[in-house]
Amino acid sequence: MVTPAVSLADVRRSYRDGAHRVDALAGVTVDFPPGSFTAIMGPSGSGKSTLLHCAAGLDRPTSGTVTVGGTDLGTLDETALTRLRRDRVGFVFQAFNLVSALTAAQNVTLPARLAGRSVSPAALAAALDAVGLTDRAGHRPSQLSGGEQQRVAIARALFSRPAVLFADEPTGALDSRTSRQVLRLLRDLVDEHGQTIVMVTHDPLAATTADEVLMLADGRLVDRLTEVTAESIAARMAALELSC
Amino acid sequence: MLTRERLGALVSVLLGVAVVTVSLLLLGSHVPRVPERFVAAGVVVRSPAPDDVASTFPQTRPWSPEETSALVNRLAAVSGVVTAVPDRDFYGQPVIAGRPVPDQVRGQGWAGAALAGHRLTAGSPPVGERDVVVGRALGVPVGGRLTVLTAAGPASWTVSGLVDPPALYVADPTAARLAPGVRAIGLLGRPDIGAVTAAVGTAGTVLTGPARGALEPRADARTRWIGLQVLTAMAALSAFAGVFVVASTFAFVVNQRRRQFGLLRAVGATPRQVRRLVHREALAVGAAASAAGVLLGALAAVPLARVLVDAGLEPAGFTVRWQVWPPLAAFAAGPVVALLGSAVAARRAGRIPPLAALREAAVETRPMTRARWATGLAVAAAAGAAGLATATTDDVRGMATTSLLGAMALIVAATLLGPAVLPALVRALLWPLRGVTGTLVRENALTAVRRTASTAAPVLLTVSFAVFITGNVQTTAGAYAAARDAAVRAPAVLVPDGTPGLADAAVTGTGGAALLPTEVHVDRVAVPAVGLEPAAYRAAVRDPGTAAGSPAALAGDTVALSRSTAQRFGWRPGGVAPVTFADGRRVALRVVAVLEDGAPAGLVLPRDTVRAHDPSALTSAVFLPERPAGASAIGARVVDAASWARQADAEEDRLVWIFTVLLVGVSAGYGAVAVAGTLLMATARRAADLRQLRLVGATRRQVLLTVATESVLVVAVGALLGGVVAWLALQGSMGALREQAGAPVALVVPWPVVSAVVAACLLLALAATVLPARSLAR
Repeated sequence: MVTPAVSLADVRRSYRDGAHRVDALAGVTVDFPPGSFTAIMGPSGSGKSTLLHCAAGLDRPTSGTVTVGGTDLGTLDETALTRLRRDRVGFVFQAFNLVSALTAAQNVTLPARLAGRSVSPAALAAALDAVGLTDRAGHRPSQLSGGEQQRVAIARALFSRPAVLFADEPTGALDSRTSRQVLRLLRDLVDEHGQTIVMVTHDPLAATTADEVLMLADGRLVDRLTEVTAESIAARMAALELSC
Repeated sequence: MLTRERLGALVSVLLGVAVVTVSLLLLGSHVPRVPERFVAAGVVVRSPAPDDVASTFPQTRPWSPEETSALVNRLAAVSGVVTAVPDRDFYGQPVIAGRPVPDQVRGQGWAGAALAGHRLTAGSPPVGERDVVVGRALGVPVGGRLTVLTAAGPASWTVSGLVDPPALYVADPTAARLAPGVRAIGLLGRPDIGAVTAAVGTAGTVLTGPARGALEPRADARTRWIGLQVLTAMAALSAFAGVFVVASTFAFVVNQRRRQFGLLRAVGATPRQVRRLVHREALAVGAAASAAGVLLGALAAVPLARVLVDAGLEPAGFTVRWQVWPPLAAFAAGPVVALLGSAVAARRAGRIPPLAALREAAVETRPMTRARWATGLAVAAAAGAAGLATATTDDVRGMATTSLLGAMALIVAATLLGPAVLPALVRALLWPLRGVTGTLVRENALTAVRRTASTAAPVLLTVSFAVFITGNVQTTAGAYAAARDAAVRAPAVLVPDGTPGLADAAVTGTGGAALLPTEVHVDRVAVPAVGLEPAAYRAAVRDPGTAAGSPAALAGDTVALSRSTAQRFGWRPGGVAPVTFADGRRVALRVVAVLEDGAPAGLVLPRDTVRAHDPSALTSAVFLPERPAGASAIGARVVDAASWARQADAEEDRLVWIFTVLLVGVSAGYGAVAVAGTLLMATARRAADLRQLRLVGATRRQVLLTVATESVLVVAVGALLGGVVAWLALQGSMGALREQAGAPVALVVPWPVVSAVVAACLLLALAATVLPARSLAR
């Protein structure tokens, strides 16, 4: 069997809110095989973002283990964890999260420069070309449209050739036309480069781009859909939200 | 990149470096000057310096007349020496129109005129017993009569000749009688130093060139010492305040940029890289501020030197000596201060989790971390230890240092622990405020406890320093006055008026108890001593008590010792105390008593014995059994005991007060910069909040009222905490004073200073918040 790109085993994450204990994740076990494109869905508060953060090493689970490319994240200290994120993991967020003082090109190469690697102009050009932004390299985020900013963020996430790309509502702040462009870009990455992608979304249309959809509710995995159509997902979501 | 956030840090480092530059430049200029009366003597031989110091600014041990003449003969025989002239320096003050001429209190033998390079411009040298040569500026012609005050009293002298500069020369035999002990011999000509040193042997030290500055008058040495204290305290205070302000500014900046740092962490910056980022920023700010600060300090050095001379904190003729090291050292101080100040903030920045980039709200979760508690309590414990050390020490200089350190530690502790008490304090202060403004202000302050605390921190610093420093000075002055007042039984005291001390003529016939201070040497230790008449003294002063022996037996070559002096030299009643007097004579004194604490000096001698060995000693005060009816003698006046108690240290108190004003000025200046800086940042950051308020229907007036109330709250919190800090720090000083004075000490709270400082903070805070909010809330 192939080693999964990311693997979660009985992952729990709870927060203290005053005297209350809130279980955001109540024991999730799941593998993401290499080259797979998985969407994670669920009602708000179901724990889908927490799942993503724990899988990506942005947050540490209360118990359980997360393995990225065979490395158990629980054994790493903060600096080692940062290095792993920098080298093996890419992120795209809903709110683009670009450094406003840097140009598109500088934003793309920022993680590599933080890692102390030299950046070849050819690699930068290729990364920008892959997201169709060759002519926007010198622009700052404020001079770019929402779709363009998100594509810069994707180029940044992919620049270090990560084992897995995590995307948290990547189309949440975009209109439907630019959403489609971004989703097509993600699909092409999986089909043409064998990129592993894990994407959190609440949009059934976005989820249809994925190979598989995981349904979360109350911090638990409640369903896995492999035959994904917008209708089947919407129906499943509606049922989940009613039951909550 | 200079942003508004960093401006506060930049300005505070700039000011700090400027103060450090000035202080170092002036400290580097602290070279004793060659006294006027030795400028023409290229080589001066000085009597042996004391090894140990029991009095603050000791004189060297004088040579006896026999030692002097033997040494003069040896030196005169050295090849190249034209003449060897003993320096005979004594108290001699001209009196013009019934008033002693101020600032002209020393006389010398005529032979000494050659050492100073003074030449007669009219008349002839002094020859007779009452002949005198004086400076032309006195306006007395050759052959005219002049009243001169010596330690014996006023007498009429004949002016035999005139010199151009202010001076007073008498015939050499007269000088030898007035100053039998010699402490320096000036050499004229071009002698070989090696030969001079060989001729002197162990009898003294050979001084040439600038080293002759060691001969400066004791008063100048003391003034320079006070100047040194002022400058070092100013430099230390500004370095501390600089670190403090940078720390609070950077804490603020890091808090504001949580999202940005979180984003960097999320895209792969390690905690170390984030820390380094903050450090680099601090370094950049520090270096830029340093350059400007050094320039500003160099520009301010000359005017400040003049101010210090005018204020009496530096001797006349003190000028700035330009050297390379002070600006260089000050330039290095800027980045160091910035790095120290930003260390905590950088650590915190490194711990920001990557998820901070994804969370929009700037709501703080925990105002007090465990590390903050631990550090705060540790610093508080250190402050407590410093306070305890202060309260139990008997070393006056040590007390000043430890109490200042204690106050600094308390300020840091209060700043660290502030967020823990802040919620309760805010609720209590806002309790009377009902209505929407009160609610808004309270919730704002309580949701951002750390931010509220860090804006209040500079107010805390300013108020606590101002109150502590002025309170300390006033309490100390009051305590000493009370102790003096309590010790004296006499209704009136005869004190010097326009002279450095009272002449015998003013003392005799008053029937009071006179104190005649002198300095004696025990081996090579200088010890202050005082001559008095035991019976009269006991009648005028509350007796501190006798530990052993009987002070009534004081007569002739006898001595009573303070307990500490007896312990120091291992002397016992009935034993012998060998001392060297001001005339260089070595006398074995018989110890008759050991006195309890409160003795007027380490050695207490019969007045006549002191007078016999120190013909130019002056009486410091006479305690009178009753208020005399007639007018006082020249150079003396009568005051009642209470005002003597108050005024005894008037000159010292004046210097200390100038010192205080300078220190409070420096710390309050910092406070002002920091208060304005942090509040300006806080308001700019809240632009969105304020616009939100306007959108939901608040009038412009309501918004401004909210902002103003917040500023008042911040100042009130800072002032209250600062007041508590100062009060606690003052308790330590009071303990020390109680120990020394042996009497209850009343805490003097300088209310005018307190109100002025708080009002200034309030004004600044309102200006820094309401003015920018006016445009934001449009």
